[in-house]
Order: sequence, then C-alpha cells, then structure tokens
Amino acid sequence: MAAAISCLIFFFVLVCLSAAVFEDQAGKFDWRQQYVGKVKFAYFDSQTQASRKLVVATEQNVIASLNSRNGDILWRQVDKTGPEGHIDSVLVHGQDAIMVSGNGRLLRSWEITVGGLNWETVLDTGSFQSTGFVGVQDSVKYVAVLKKTAIYLHYLSNGHQKWVENLPDSETVQYEVVYSGGSGLVYVLGVVPHSHLTITAYNLEDGEVMKQVSVEALWLESLKPGCAVVGDGVLVCADPASRSLYTLKLEEEHEQEMRQVLLQSLGVELSDGFQPRVLATQPSPARHPNAEFSVQLGSDHHILLQLGDDVIAPLRDFQQALLVSFATTGEKTVAVVMSPKNETAYSINLFSADSGRRLLETFTTFNLDPNGGKPERLYVHAFLKKDDSVGYRVLVQTEDHALIFVQQPGRVLWIREEALAEVVTMEMVDLPLTGTQAELEGEFGKKADGLLGMVLKRLSSQLILLQSWTAHLWKMFCDARQPRSLVKNEVTIETLARDEFNLQKMMVMVTASGKLFGIESSFGTILWKHFLQKVQPSSSFKLVVQRTTAHFPHPPQCTLIIKDKDTGLSTLHVFNPIFGKRSHITPPSLGRPILQSLLLPLMDQDYAKVLLLIDNEYKVTAFPSGKRVLQQLQEMASLVFFYLVDADQGKLSGFRLRRDLTTELIWEVVIPTEVQRIVSVKGKRANEHVHSQGRVMGDRSVLYKYLNPNLLAVVTESSDSHPERSFVGMYLIDGVTGRIIHEAVQRKARGPVYFVHSENWVVYQYWNTKSRRNEFSVLELYEGTEQYNSTAFSSLDRPLTPQVLQQSYIFPSAISQLEATITEKGITSRHLLVGLPSGAILSLPKMLLDPRRPEVPSEQSREENLIPYAPEMPIRSEWFINYNQTVTRAKGIYTAPSGLESTCLVVAYGLDIYQTRVYPSKQFDVLNDDYDYMLISSVLFGLVFTTMISKRLAQVKLLNRAWR
Amino acid sequence: MLPRSTTSLFCVLFQVLAAVSQGFGEFESVSVGAPINGDRFRIEGRCVVPGVKAQDWVSTARVLVEGEDHVGFLKTDGSFAVNDVPSGSYVVEIVSPAYKFEPVRVDITSKGKMRARMVNFIKTSEVVRLPYPLQMRSSGPPNYFNKRETWGWTDFLMNPMVMMMVLPLLIIVLLPKVVNTNDPEMRREMEQSMNMLNPNPELPDVSEFMTKLFSSKGPGKSGSSIKAGKSGQLKRR
Repeated sequence: MAAAISCLIFFFVLVCLSAAVFEDQAGKFDWRQQYVGKVKFAYFDSQTQASRKLVVATEQNVIASLNSRNGDILWRQVDKTGPEGHIDSVLVHGQDAIMVSGNGRLLRSWEITVGGLNWETVLDTGSFQSTGFVGVQDSVKYVAVLKKTAIYLHYLSNGHQKWVENLPDSETVQYEVVYSGGSGLVYVLGVVPHSHLTITAYNLEDGEVMKQVSVEALWLESLKPGCAVVGDGVLVCADPASRSLYTLKLEEEHEQEMRQVLLQSLGVELSDGFQPRVLATQPSPARHPNAEFSVQLGSDHHILLQLGDDVIAPLRDFQQALLVSFATTGEKTVAVVMSPKNETAYSINLFSADSGRRLLETFTTFNLDPNGGKPERLYVHAFLKKDDSVGYRVLVQTEDHALIFVQQPGRVLWIREEALAEVVTMEMVDLPLTGTQAELEGEFGKKADGLLGMVLKRLSSQLILLQSWTAHLWKMFCDARQPRSLVKNEVTIETLARDEFNLQKMMVMVTASGKLFGIESSFGTILWKHFLQKVQPSSSFKLVVQRTTAHFPHPPQCTLIIKDKDTGLSTLHVFNPIFGKRSHITPPSLGRPILQSLLLPLMDQDYAKVLLLIDNEYKVTAFPSGKRVLQQLQEMASLVFFYLVDADQGKLSGFRLRRDLTTELIWEVVIPTEVQRIVSVKGKRANEHVHSQGRVMGDRSVLYKYLNPNLLAVVTESSDSHPERSFVGMYLIDGVTGRIIHEAVQRKARGPVYFVHSENWVVYQYWNTKSRRNEFSVLELYEGTEQYNSTAFSSLDRPLTPQVLQQSYIFPSAISQLEATITEKGITSRHLLVGLPSGAILSLPKMLLDPRRPEVPSEQSREENLIPYAPEMPIRSEWFINYNQTVTRAKGIYTAPSGLESTCLVVAYGLDIYQTRVYPSKQFDVLNDDYDYMLISSVLFGLVFTTMISKRLAQVKLLNRAWR
Repeated sequence: MLPRSTTSLFCVLFQVLAAVSQGFGEFESVSVGAPINGDRFRIEGRCVVPGVKAQDWVSTARVLVEGEDHVGFLKTDGSFAVNDVPSGSYVVEIVSPAYKFEPVRVDITSKGKMRARMVNFIKTSEVVRLPYPLQMRSSGPPNYFNKRETWGWTDFLMNPMVMMMVLPLLIIVLLPKVVNTNDPEMRREMEQSMNMLNPNPELPDVSEFMTKLFSSKGPGKSGSSIKAGKSGQLKRR
C-alpha cells in the first residue's frame, strides 16, 4: 500500500515537473537552422528541365539534397563521424546517387527523390583510390570501384557484384585511375613513381585481363591531379619539370611511348613552382570524353586546349581566370570561366568548348561579401533555353564554406553558410539599449544638476517615454490593419534594441573554419559575419566577453583567443560583438604559447574586464594593460590564483600571482598516467548565482550547501580499457589550495564522460561496462547543519571537510551532450539539458538527480518533496524541449540567463542550430501566453452588466414597496 | 572488438537461456549473420509504420546501434542492415522525429549467431526473445506537447461547488411548482413559516443597502445616514 502511494506521489511529481512545450508554442520563440557542412561533391539533377535539385556530399559525412530555388534541405542523411563514415566519392546517375564511404568499405546507392537507400554493399577493406561509372552501348549499367589491390564491378540496379579482380603487382604499382569509354573494356591506370606507367584493360563481361602494357615515364610521380583521359581514350599528363604535356593512346594495341608536347610550342608559359592540373569532361560515362580539356597553369591562369589527331591545339587562353569548369547540356559543352572583377565582384563567362568562342549574353557579374572568403570551387548547371541558346546556374563555394547560388543576370538566389555546421564555441551578448533608453539610464548617473534640474529632466524623459510608447502603439495599430503575411519580422542591425525582458540577445558564434557570425536570437537572422583569413583549420578557440553592453558610451567588446595547434602560438582578435567590427584596440602580441587565460572581475577605466594570459614560461600578460590596471593588479595580486592542467603528464598545478606579476607554484596534484589519464577539468560558471544557501529538511533544520567557488571537478579515465578493470574517476579539487575535497571512483565503467559542475553538485554520466548501460551519478556537497562562515567563503580557512552524498541512476539512452539551465538569480529550480543521439534535447529536472531521494519514503521525505528512489530515469517525449526539431550531432548546449527569472535561453549546436527558451519552474513571473483575457474580461463585463440590471430591478422593487 | 571474457559471458547468457528453456530448438535455428570479414557482422531488420508508406518517412529516420557507434540507413522499402558490427551486445534503435519505435537488444556471438531480445536495463540478463531479423513496428507518433488546460462549459458545470449551488436553486424554483399554492390553507401555512423565517424588519437589508450605495441619488442620502449613525454613536457615548 505504501509503495502504491509512493508511486502515486512519484507520478504526481512527474506531472508537476514537466516542462514541456504546448503545441501552439511551437515555432513561436524557437527556431532551427539545418546545415550539411563543407561541400566536397555537388551535382545538379539534370534529369528534367524543371528539376531544381542539388545533391551534395560533405566533409561532415552528410549526403543531402538541396532545393536550388531557395537552398532548403529536401532531405539529409547523416552518417557517423570519423573516418568510418568519411565519404570518399559520390557519382550521380539519373535518380541514383552512388556513394563510396569509409575508405572504400561501403558502396551505397541513394534514391535522390525520396532520400532513402536503394541498396548497400560491403566491399573488402583496402585503401580507396577511385571510382567511375561503366557504360556500354549508351546505357550505364555498372559502377567500378578501384582500390589499392583490387577492382570491383557492381550492378547499378541492385548493387550485386559482377566481378572482382585483384590487381597485378599492387605492392609496387599505385593504381589511381579507372576509365571506361563505352567500348566494353575497363582500363585501370597505375604508376610506379619515377619509373613507368601501367595500363591494364579488363573485359567488362567477365573481368578477364585483355591487355597489360607498361610505358616508361621516368618523370611521372602521380596521376592526380596532373593527368586526365581525353578524347578517344588518350591520357594527357602535364609535367611541371619539363614544362610540357605528354599524351598516350590507351586503346593502341602495340607498344608505344608517351609523346611530348612542349607548352612553349602552344604559346603559353607555366607559372614557377605550380603543379598544373588537367581538367577533362566526360558528359556520358558510356561514351568517350570530349576532346577539349583545360589545363591550369597558374593560380589564375587557365588554357582551353583541343586534342585533334595527334596534335594539341590551343583554343583559348584565360589569363585572369580564377576557376574553370565544364558543363554539358544536350550536345553542347561549354567552358565556364570565373574571373575576379574587383575586390568583391566576380564575373562569369561561357565559352563554347568546341571552338573556344565566347557565347553571347552569358556574361554575369555578382558580388560576394567583402568579409567572406574567396571562391574556391565552381559547379555549373547548363541548360538549353527555348531559343536554343545556353542558359546556366552556378553554385560557387568559397573558402569560408559558404555556398552561393547565382542565377543568370547576376542574381544571388541564396547563400548557405555551411561554416555554421561546425560551431566551436559561442557566447550570448545583451543587445544595446536604444537612444531613448540610454538617455533614461544616463539620468541616474549625474547628480550635479540640483533639484529643479533633476525634476525637469525627469519630466522630459517621461515625455520621451510617452512619445515612444504612442509611436509603438501606432505601429502596432498599423501592423494589425495589414494582412499577417505582409508584416515582416525583419531584424536589421539598425533596429537592434534590447527588449523589456532581455530575451533577445546577440549570439556570437565561432566556427572551425575561422568565420565568426553574429546571429540575433529571436529569429535566427545572421546580422554580421567576419572571416578570419589567417586561421589554420585545426586551431582551437576561446571566446571571452570583456565588456558587456551595460557601459553605454563604450561599445561592447569580445576577445577571441585563437590557438594554432601546430605551433601553439596564440593570437587575439578583438571585436564588437554587436556589429562584428574589429576593434581599434591593438591586442598584445604574444610571442610564446599561451597555457591558460582568465578573465578577472577587475575593470580598467573603460569598463573592460582584464584578461590575464599565462604563457609557457609562467609569465603573465594582461590585456588591457594600462597603468591603472597594472596598479590594481598589483594590489589584488595576492588574491589571484590559477591552475594549469598537463594531461600528458597527469599533472594539475596551482599558481599564485605575485605583486611583480610573476607567478609562484603553490600546489601540485599528480595523477599517474600509467593508471589513469585526465580527460576533462571544469570549474563553475562565473555568472552563476545560488539563491538559497541551504535546504530545509523535514525536521525544519537546514542542511547548508558547500558552495566553494574555487572547486574544480576533474574527470579521469583508466588507461586500462579492459571492461573488468576499467574505471572512471571523479576528483573534486580546491583550485586555491590544491586540496582534494572528494574522490569518487566508478568501477567497471568507461567514458566518454559528460558532466556538469554547478552550485554544490556534480552530475556525470558514464558507460557501465558490466551491465552495458549508461548511468548517471550525482554528487552533492553539504557543509552540514551548521555553516562555518556564513558571510564569506575562503578556501584557505575551511577546517571541516564537506559531507558528500552520492546516488546513481540508470539512463536508458546514450547521450551526446550535457548542460544545466541557468537563470538570473538562481531562484528557479534547475534542469539538466541532455542531448540524445537521436537529436532530441531532454530537459531532466535536477530534482530527479538528488542523492537524498529515499529508498523508503518517510514522513519527513514526503514533507521535503523528495521523490522516492527509482533506479531507472524516465525519458518522456513531453520533456523534449525541441519536440520534432532534432539537433543532429549536438556538439554543445549553451545556456544563458534572460531578464526574467523564470526563463533560460538555450542554444544547441552541432550540425544544426536550435534556439529556444525553457521555463524550468514554469512562467511564474509573467502571465502565461495562454492567459485567457477573453474569459476574464467577459466575466468582468458580465458582472458590471448584472449590477446595472439588478440595480434597476431593485429600484422597481423599492417603488412597488412604496406603492403598497 | 571485445575481449574473450565478454564472449564467455555471452556463452553463459546463452546457457541461462537454455535453462529457462524458452525453446531450445528455436535457439538452434537462430539465423547466422553473414560473416563478412572474419569478425564483423551485419544486423538486419525491417521497420513498419502502420498506414504510412516507407518512402514518406525513411529520409528522416536512421538506425542507431549503441548510441552513434554504428549507423545504418533505411531502404526505400523500410528494411535496413547495419554493416561492420563486431560481436557483442547492442541496443538497436530506430530514430525518427515523426515516429516512435521501441529499442531492441541484439546479441552477436563471436561466431556470428544473432538473437534479439527486449531491452531491460535493470535486469540485464533477463531474456525475452524477439524475432530476428528485427521486426520494428512503430507505435505511432510521439507525444511532444502538453495539452493546454481548455475551459469548457462541462468543466464549469461539473465543478462540485457549482453543483452545490445549482441543486438548492433547483429546489427553490421547483418546490413551489410541486406544492399547490392556490390552496388557501397551504398559503396561510407558508406565510406563517415565511414570517418565522423573515428576519427582523428593523435590520437593514444588505441588498437594499447596496442599491442605495450605488444609486445615483444615493451618495447624499447614504452619507447623511452614515452621519446619522455616527452622531448616534456619539450620543450613545
């Protein structure tokens, strides 16, 4: 019976806790943007004229189809991360996209209209080299996959293997190119570097070797990218050393040598030290490639050549051509040339591939964002117009991973910022006040005006407020009169202003490509973007907000610390987070690698917080470093402590700042690397507030929380990965004294460990190798029923160790990310936001992860509202804060407080970006948005009305009584 | 790859299964997953959403094996195969934002014998067999939203407080109809009882007071009456 009651209580609490969205709230304050990543392969669906479809495959192991009218994703399939899902090659034929992934491990065929698999086959392991369609008699039936040691031929229709042949002498010969010209033979070209070239021809029907030739080529190192098959099976190779082109007929029966054609004889010159590239085009895999090809001779120099009978003839020389590409429509093949016009404008021209003549009315210019990168690749879709002239659409890919779709008269139809698929870190910055708001704020600053002046100022500012309010009302009225579709919620950089509850903020996102974005949070509009040109691809980033928008005449200021992975050297990029402009402040130049950075609560005269950077010689650099700042730093140097983590040596060390701004080692904790390695170290968030110092227990006594702001949570994993002996360790270390406050070890467990460290608790998740399930564990620290020092916390004066409570739970799913909600004052109860592999974000009440949950509920625990212990955590779809708007591969969840205590802003980023608001304790400080104004006002009116009627009736009654 | 001790654990598991005897013969007939490369196996199955064509939802769904350790995709007919899975025990899930599927645990021995069972995280060794190749059937779209508390007339009328008010009202209205008021004896009797009920006529009636207060002429009158009351009080003092 007691169990039943407790069960009932449990469910009751669950219902009360639920922080789900209501159906009418969907899309009201949340939005999602979906991305695919940096494009590696792109194809236009040229099945029908009307088809507006693009098939792209990306470095994020994603294959997707985009709508070329607006750039929306039609469908997207996300493979697993890492080399096993890596897409090696994509080919499109008709309605099928053939994809080779996992270094030639899997061959898949996708149905491009539906987005589902047609078939999937597994190939043997072996390094992938090349792939190509094989056609015979104008129909494409097979796909050939060339690997290091073997060639595979599969049917296009069902993926079945037709034959597989091992390649001869695969230890010495690098096989690189597979070619088929529709003749019933499959040629495999290999090269022995600086020795010779081998050509092996296989019979299409049974895989029998028909011919095997080797041709001497001492200069040849590799077939890519300097070689291509052109015309009737002629291999053309460019050799930068001898500045010449070599040709070789593949289908020739007898022995032959490669013929040399000097580039000089064609009247062109090769740029020094440039590896020339040969680009050929094969419109249909069942036929020979075209006889025309282009050679890139320099970074912006291309030449269009034609291969005739044994002679190579130049057709056209493109001097200022950044990119050249071929496109075919019907029988016509065109060369598309893109050349820079000025700093930001680029022009596109079409040339007939047969003659090299410029096609009329195909000139297009378009502008690119000056803060973006340069164009890198060009994909062209050519089509025949009604008057038989060639029209085209172009997809331009830039260095900063943006995709720009240009239609013919120079119109940019859409831009996709694919850099946002790899957000590394982000911050949310308050929006600035409007002019009037700033004036009101300014009123309180000055006090020299005297009483009368103050009164007048007050009145004038109230007038301004009234004026802006009437203007607002008028705008609302105008908007209401227009049809809803016409009212645009457009946010521009000029109209940015903080709303009354500070719910709208600026999201500053840093991406792995080195492109920074400023996204306004209520609609997701990208307001600014800035591409940092010199950033290496594998750099790590840290973003700090040095000055918020609260100090009005001074602009807000963010600093991005960019650390190069190879050299370890760091650079600083200082910018205004609202407008994205680089600040005029010159950051200090850093000659040595930076180990640690800390943002002090100290401010300079311009209200910028001081950033301390510690380099590998333990020297400290302050930024900004004015005289006053240094003076202040000296004064408070004895209060500045910091820690360094050396994961390779398993060492945590604590340092203290001296008055002369040198540092001193004060403690060291060594975690031997033979047994375990440090995986992650986290402190608490600097902007976190804890409202209640303790918890009131059932017997009315108070259990005080151990709120050490200097506490570090250190997670270790065992070096032994055997399931019986592996473990996960959690150390709680005081960052000032180096004292190990608590140590917890989870045996038969392994990572990846996700954890949150906040208030007086740490929640972490690990994989239980014995029971093969994910488990959550919670650690809570309490001082006890009496507080040692209730006014201030000092790490140096804490004689008593805290009481530690721990409890673990089963979590019925793997997780991909973990974060806790945060609110302005910390009154609202906390929820944990758990990113699941399915893309859902679960809002889990912290109340469920409470180590004081009793196994047997007592009177006191019921009084405290403790939920009885249950081993398994529930996952309910009502708790998914992003309902069906899944965030694939969540890499981070960012939470920020808003101006409302009940509301926490959440941004989840990964392949997608999702922004929403959560109300962990429901909206207790504002009226619900389903508040029934109609009912309340109708009741009020009804009451007034009945009063009037009853008054009338009473009068009548009085009169009647008087008559009686 | 999993070390040997784990595989021995599986052997134990299988023996337990035999002891439970959920059908030894059936266990023997477990289909052998096609070994592709020595110790890598393939998990196969099919999923169905009743009443929805596979083409309409396969592009948003994926097959996840043990989190995102192995990923499979659905074919246009709803079947799937996850390749390159080493022997071990895995939870296989179909994830789709639009439809809900129950996860299934799949055990693969080192020889490639497969079996599917219900996921039970608390009693991890309990075996409730499921068919293999996997048959995943969606239980419909998940419920992401809480219902708004709507206000309806029935809610209002069924409220106990309202019921308590409405019933006496009905009695008051209906009782005079039932009792014949034309009968003079009855009327006299009722009048008597009414007089008994009637409070002291000297006491001011609340409704009368309110109407006085709200009537347009009221303020002066009521004011004076209040004054009178006050003066009366003073006098009494």
